[in-house]
Amino acid sequence: MEDVLTNKAHALRLGCGARVARITVMTMFAAVLAACGGSGGGGGGSAAEPPESSVPSPSPVAPLDPSPAPAPGPTPERNAAARFLTQASFGPDEASIERVQALGYDGWIDEQFAAPASSHVANWDALTAQLRLANASAWAGQDGVFNSFWRTAVTGDDQLRQRVAFALSEIFVISMQDTFVGNEPRAVAHYLDLLAAHSSGRYRDLLEGVAMHPMMGRYLSALGNRKADTRTGRVPDENFAREVMQLFSIGLYKLELDGTQKLADGKPIETYGPADIAGLARVFTGWSWACPVAPTATNSTCFSTGSVSVNGTSRSDADRSTKPMILYPGMHAPEEKRFLGTVVPADTDGATSLRMALDTLAGHPNVAPFISRQLIQRLVTSNPSPAYVGDVARVFNTTGGDLKAVVKALLLHAEARTPTATGGKVREPLLRMTAYYRAFNATSDGGHWRIGNTDDPASRLGQSVLRSASVFNFYRPGYVQPNSAAADAGLVAPELQILHETSAAGYVNYLRSVVFSGVGVVNGTPYNRADVQADYRAELALADKPEQLVDRLDAKLMHGSMPAALKAEIVAAVASVPIQTHSQAAIDLGKKVRVTSAVLLTLASPEFQVQK
Amino acid sequence: MTGPRFQHDGARRLFLRQATALAGLGTAAPFALNLSALGSAAAQTATDYKALVCLFLHGGNDSMNMVLPTDAASWAAYTSVRNQLPESIALLSPGTAPVASATAGSPTRLGGVLPIVPINAQGRSFALHPLMGTLQTLFNDEKRLAIVPNAGPLVMPTTKAQYANSLHPKPAHLFSHNDQANMWQSFQPEGATKGWGGLMADLMAAQNGRAVFTSISTSGNAVWLSGDRVRQYQVSSSGAIRMATSGSTNAVYGQLGVGDALRRIVRSTRGSHPLERDLADINNRSIEAEEILRLAMKDASDPLFGTPNTSPDPKMLYDAPLTGGKAINGLAQQLQTVARMIDASGTAGIQAKRQIFFVSLGGFDTHDNQNRAHADLYARLAHALRYFDATLGAMGLRDSVTTFTASDFGRSFTSNGDGTDHGWGAHHFVMGGAVKGGDLYGRFPVLGMRNANSNSFDSSPDQVGNGALIPGTSVEQIGATLARWFGLSDNETSMVFPGLRNFSERSLGFMR
Repeated sequence: MEDVLTNKAHALRLGCGARVARITVMTMFAAVLAACGGSGGGGGGSAAEPPESSVPSPSPVAPLDPSPAPAPGPTPERNAAARFLTQASFGPDEASIERVQALGYDGWIDEQFAAPASSHVANWDALTAQLRLANASAWAGQDGVFNSFWRTAVTGDDQLRQRVAFALSEIFVISMQDTFVGNEPRAVAHYLDLLAAHSSGRYRDLLEGVAMHPMMGRYLSALGNRKADTRTGRVPDENFAREVMQLFSIGLYKLELDGTQKLADGKPIETYGPADIAGLARVFTGWSWACPVAPTATNSTCFSTGSVSVNGTSRSDADRSTKPMILYPGMHAPEEKRFLGTVVPADTDGATSLRMALDTLAGHPNVAPFISRQLIQRLVTSNPSPAYVGDVARVFNTTGGDLKAVVKALLLHAEARTPTATGGKVREPLLRMTAYYRAFNATSDGGHWRIGNTDDPASRLGQSVLRSASVFNFYRPGYVQPNSAAADAGLVAPELQILHETSAAGYVNYLRSVVFSGVGVVNGTPYNRADVQADYRAELALADKPEQLVDRLDAKLMHGSMPAALKAEIVAAVASVPIQTHSQAAIDLGKKVRVTSAVLLTLASPEFQVQK
Repeated sequence: MTGPRFQHDGARRLFLRQATALAGLGTAAPFALNLSALGSAAAQTATDYKALVCLFLHGGNDSMNMVLPTDAASWAAYTSVRNQLPESIALLSPGTAPVASATAGSPTRLGGVLPIVPINAQGRSFALHPLMGTLQTLFNDEKRLAIVPNAGPLVMPTTKAQYANSLHPKPAHLFSHNDQANMWQSFQPEGATKGWGGLMADLMAAQNGRAVFTSISTSGNAVWLSGDRVRQYQVSSSGAIRMATSGSTNAVYGQLGVGDALRRIVRSTRGSHPLERDLADINNRSIEAEEILRLAMKDASDPLFGTPNTSPDPKMLYDAPLTGGKAINGLAQQLQTVARMIDASGTAGIQAKRQIFFVSLGGFDTHDNQNRAHADLYARLAHALRYFDATLGAMGLRDSVTTFTASDFGRSFTSNGDGTDHGWGAHHFVMGGAVKGGDLYGRFPVLGMRNANSNSFDSSPDQVGNGALIPGTSVEQIGATLARWFGLSDNETSMVFPGLRNFSERSLGFMR
């Protein structure tokens, strides 16, 4: 079920509910970052060709020409490395720039996918444990998911994996705006972990993980979906069957490998019709919660509620919200299932039906261009050329849908590595903020990044992770902003779909506060300030040298792409801020206003907000 | 340095741009288009004020539980099809007493459906969802609510036999959320950039002092609001948001130099990327419009729309059926914002004669848990519409504002156990003082019994698989009926609704 929140303002809290009196854990981010630089690359230099992925490939379509072998090339220069990290991570920081320069793009990608994955569940549990020091019944709630996102995005060593997981969360969408999903935030953290785990694996496995996750089951109502009752006329729920085709695998139209539509008599060809949906819907019947008592053909105890009565006591699997859904044979449709040319014979068991369905979807020729194009849009550019999509889709097919290889191919492609006049994308609000936090080595006093919900476009970001309005994500890959320069240039601009006059003002106002005062729950003594704070020490040292200060921000936030005219504006504004000298406090304040003004003006500029 | 692409305000400039744009079309432009568009832009200066409000029900509203035929045959089919395990979604017959101890949101708890008495009942009887008491009054007694049964996107009239014929033209991507939501608003699937509200507004914008306040959303970007030239303006339920500053000056961090620089930086781009220009354009509109609305818009707590010095405002609270308590109704807050904008339309800074608004309520994709979800949604819908009607009454503007519902699609007649699947045709409301309320406009479809051995409905000429409805009325007919009231000429109406030529009825007759 989708649930569009129509009045976001009233669903907001400033941060997390409970306040924590004493801080018991301090994460040493500086140490973490230093360690990042020290982990072994194992490749013997940036020019070394990494071992190819050993993922089995189910006799893919033979490529007509070899996928373009990206030349590893010389050590990336600093701004190029920073630009690469804008696409491949949550934003460049000094340590990651140095690491990319040391390993080269190729080597860095390999190292990143080999790095241990962060755990959103562990972060959520840690915050809950901390809150329970003060209140035994407290829990991290949805804020625990948001906070873990920020924590991981800003400080996680597995930047690329998490960045891809975030992209996948905008394709394989579940949303805590849904009542059921919203009430199980720990399981949502688990879903994000699942996406991260599969971001370096095969698409087919990702699809199965998503299809069987109970939060997806809840969100698209496949969990607890019953076979037809032909006597009374009850029919299976078609929700997941429809959206898994439209959004998670093949899309509406038959595609060429390069992502353009196939045509018949000049018209696009639909990939499926109502009969395919009805057939596939039968596959997704009989799946529900993990249960302490194994279901049988006649015993479907946990199917509806997840609970079973054992000797008069109601029992349920404590981990049912994170364990894959299980099959209840008595609830699974026994009829023949026809979809997309596949016929699952009558009386085929549920597990076999599922395998055949997922194989059919994953084996469809649309998957490679459909998924490749969207991953390119999420990481690199809203408007990839057909050649770019085709090159990446070819890698998708030749590697059997190995997402690690796909991500590498799309990041190393010449079209990603060379800026163009209309390439790139609008940075979505969450990614603007992660870039800022990483550039200034932001830290969380309490260690839990208690930034909370950022839904409200009038006062925050108009976006919180895993809280889109519907399964159609915050924005659509084909969105065209009416009467826009982008539309005139023939460009789609997905991220513009959530930007408007209210969000524009809300973003700047949020920044004004965050940049100066930090953000999040106010921790008690000795902090007495908002939980998340940027480190401006190096910038404060340049407060009386506006040109150098702005050059530094240009390098940190815009990989050296800031136009001279914008620099001049910001330099003049910084220079206009007086530094009163009657006390040290006045001097410090003057310097801080200069630095935060420069940061605010940079982040508010249209030039920063477009990742080029 | 590239300047911003912001919309130039002022009727004269818009007219000049319109004339220039049309001249650019040269001989390729149809003669009628030239004439009517120029006519609109030039001379037709309306003396009255009118507004259209599109209330979009996101997710696909199951209107079969909103407006119900209660004649014996229909009711028998309805109950038989929708009463399924594990949870019946069949509402109960008129007059059934609610059972207070039953599960919240369940039909038993809600009690029977509420009878309505259309002026022309088509030989049948009808009712509304049990939580729509305010709308029952608006329909039966006050006659400011009309019902358009079984409407949806259509290329041309379509019979059941034609539906089965793959060569018969049908809208693209039936049953798909995003595409049908776009189709309702623009007659195009996803990716559309012009909606019929915006195209109407194009023709009327010249009558407004500032084009930016012609097309207004309280709930995000909606293609319905965009025309060839008109663009939507988004205003929040907190009113227009002032960027960067809140004091008496534009200072940021106490520094005027920083505040002034910020306003320059955000409103233009020094680069040439189209996306940068678009972001600058949004910023520019945000700042310009707020400066006007700051002075023009009254507070939400003004007695005209709200309750002074009371938080939460009792006018914004609805009876939440799932909790039994009061809760804030976000839809009412959106309509309150619309009322405030309408109130401000005559101020010196705005001077609007024709405005279109888009508000929305989400959560209608009731594949499961439909009883509870619907109860809460309909309680909000009924409360918000009643609030808006009462507020417009107090403002003396009921006759000037027409509100209509829209949604992705209707849903299946069949139940999947506790919910419904995607459909096509759906029943809709039109509300206002200029509406000929208390009646149905269009034939109410036949709801039949399901076939014994399939999910087809041979018993109904209107129902296809899973009992989804083939619309009998096109969205374009609804739009055209509203357009004529709004002030478009017959020619202009044909331009905005090109599909109208395929339908014999150009007006459904629900407007005075």
